[in-house]
Amino acid sequence: MLRLGSDQSRVLGALLVAVLLHLAGTALIEGYSSAFSMRAMLVLASLLAIASIGQTLVVIIGGIDLSIPFVIGFANVVTAQLYGGGMDFWLVCGIVLALAAAIGGLNGLISSGLGLHPLIVTLGIGTIVQGSVLLWTGGFPSGSAPASVTEFVSIGGSVGPVPVPWLVPCFVALAAIVTVALARTPYGRRLFALGSNPRAAPLALINPVAMWTATFAISAVFAAVTGILLLGFTGSAYGEVGQPYLFQTIAAVVIGGTALVGGRGSYLGTVAGALVLTEINTLLIGLGLQPSLVQAVLGIVIVVLVSFYGRDAHVRTTI
Amino acid sequence: MTAAVTTSRAEGGRLPALKALWRQTGFAPLLFVILLVINIAINPARFAPGAWGTLIGLAAPLIGAAIASAPAILGGRGGIDISVGPIMGFVNAIVVLVLVQKLGLTSPFVVVGSAILIGAAVGALNGFLATILRIQPIVATLGTYLLLVGTTLTILPAPTGTVPVWLKALGGPLSILPLGAVFLAWFLIRRLPYYDHLMAVGSDDRAAYTAGIPVTLVRFLSYVITGVFAGVAGLMMTALIGSADPAIGPTYTLIAISAVALGGVSLAGGRGGLVGAAIGAIDIFLLQSALTFFNFSTFVLQIAYGAILVIAIVLTALQDRWLGRAREGR
Repeated sequence: MLRLGSDQSRVLGALLVAVLLHLAGTALIEGYSSAFSMRAMLVLASLLAIASIGQTLVVIIGGIDLSIPFVIGFANVVTAQLYGGGMDFWLVCGIVLALAAAIGGLNGLISSGLGLHPLIVTLGIGTIVQGSVLLWTGGFPSGSAPASVTEFVSIGGSVGPVPVPWLVPCFVALAAIVTVALARTPYGRRLFALGSNPRAAPLALINPVAMWTATFAISAVFAAVTGILLLGFTGSAYGEVGQPYLFQTIAAVVIGGTALVGGRGSYLGTVAGALVLTEINTLLIGLGLQPSLVQAVLGIVIVVLVSFYGRDAHVRTTI
Repeated sequence: MTAAVTTSRAEGGRLPALKALWRQTGFAPLLFVILLVINIAINPARFAPGAWGTLIGLAAPLIGAAIASAPAILGGRGGIDISVGPIMGFVNAIVVLVLVQKLGLTSPFVVVGSAILIGAAVGALNGFLATILRIQPIVATLGTYLLLVGTTLTILPAPTGTVPVWLKALGGPLSILPLGAVFLAWFLIRRLPYYDHLMAVGSDDRAAYTAGIPVTLVRFLSYVITGVFAGVAGLMMTALIGSADPAIGPTYTLIAISAVALGGVSLAGGRGGLVGAAIGAIDIFLLQSALTFFNFSTFVLQIAYGAILVIAIVLTALQDRWLGRAREGR
């Protein structure tokens, strides 16, 4: 069995899989590498990767965030509703992101302050958020995104002569910022320290509750950003728009080599994971599989990929 | 950690039995009493003793799903089976579509036998992925989740079919039979050394390993037990809805995990039991029942359900603190 040691090789492994999948797609399906299909894949992968920023950070600290799809839906619907009501778009963004930060902060505060499992806390809070949004709109959200957002994420958009929408270069810059923040800032150092040893970190004067609160807040903010971008992408508000992201963010993180036990991982790996997932999806749909079969094959592929380089240590090696 | 397990069992003598239950299940029993009183007060007809049979039938699949989720979680180190709901949906599709409709096999032995076999097979697959291949359990069972949901939707694109009369009968008062069978099975498992091993592994797998407990095997079996119970829960769901429906099964996963947490089962493993999980499930059922009566929209139901879940686990954590038994780690 192939077992690569360092984080870099895990990232490279995931990238290699993405490239191989792309070559396979190009060989099997006509037009797979066409400009349009490449652009579509880049946009979809960017959206998934942005939604997965928070999941990566939260997993490195040793938690998990199931509230991401609910926050995406929340941001999607609330933005449409407020903007449709005539409010200034940037004010709307400010309100939505601030509320998201509060929701995420609450997730982290309850989880770490009381020592509760974040899985159940984020699920509970997420359910409350979704219910509140549905109640507010009566289940039928209205409104839409400003044209600028639609253009920002549109598959047909272009940056000067380069035929990709602004989302893609902006995302590349964002990915660089996240990577540098993880590797070079005190926040990133503390994140890894707390994730790899939750008991030793407080002795190094790292405040676990503050770190968890901040990290979950960041997670929710990026989920909200995804929700706003998705509003531009799909054109109209839909409360369930985030649902596919529940498991996809976790899958992207794990395929990228970040360990769910915490303390190890990288955002570049997650980006590679998002690319892999997008490639698989496009490939399978291109091969003419039913969506239900695509789902079944995706399940197998995730397990096979993770079994190559995402395996846990045996208990005997942890003593 | 093994010592802690034995003392908490020894305490369960006469009067301390209540205290032990309180410790093991948290606020779930209290919530149960409150919700039951509210339900009886607002809707005496529905909650009259004569109607209890029907109520149990309605609640049975949720209780079954919650019980099924517990063993894998008790094994600790991130142990969890999110494929419980899809197993139920898969069993539902196979029983109605393949056994009854295609092959005409309606004998209880065949139907119950295949439900248990399917559950055991999927559970063994989960166990293999999570403990022998050592993929993180949530990812391993996510793989199974997608595989089962996809397969179920492929063979059963839309709701269809009917169930044999005997199975339909199990959807009413007689649903106590499969529930009782599951509890009996768990009661017997608790008598085995296996149960102590499972709790020891869930509390501290490294200590358990050094004490010579076959950690991998113990965890593997916990997934098989979860799978078997999920198969039975699938049968109960089939009895209740009386047809094959691909959309219903997967919805049980998250609600079952909530019920388990509500029932005082620690998601870190090694603490809690199936009785707690069942009470947690009944709480959720009673909550839904009360809110539906007031004709609240499902949206309010969702808010209340999330709020009660969060409040209950927060209270349980605070109670732990007051009792001076703050859990180690997470």
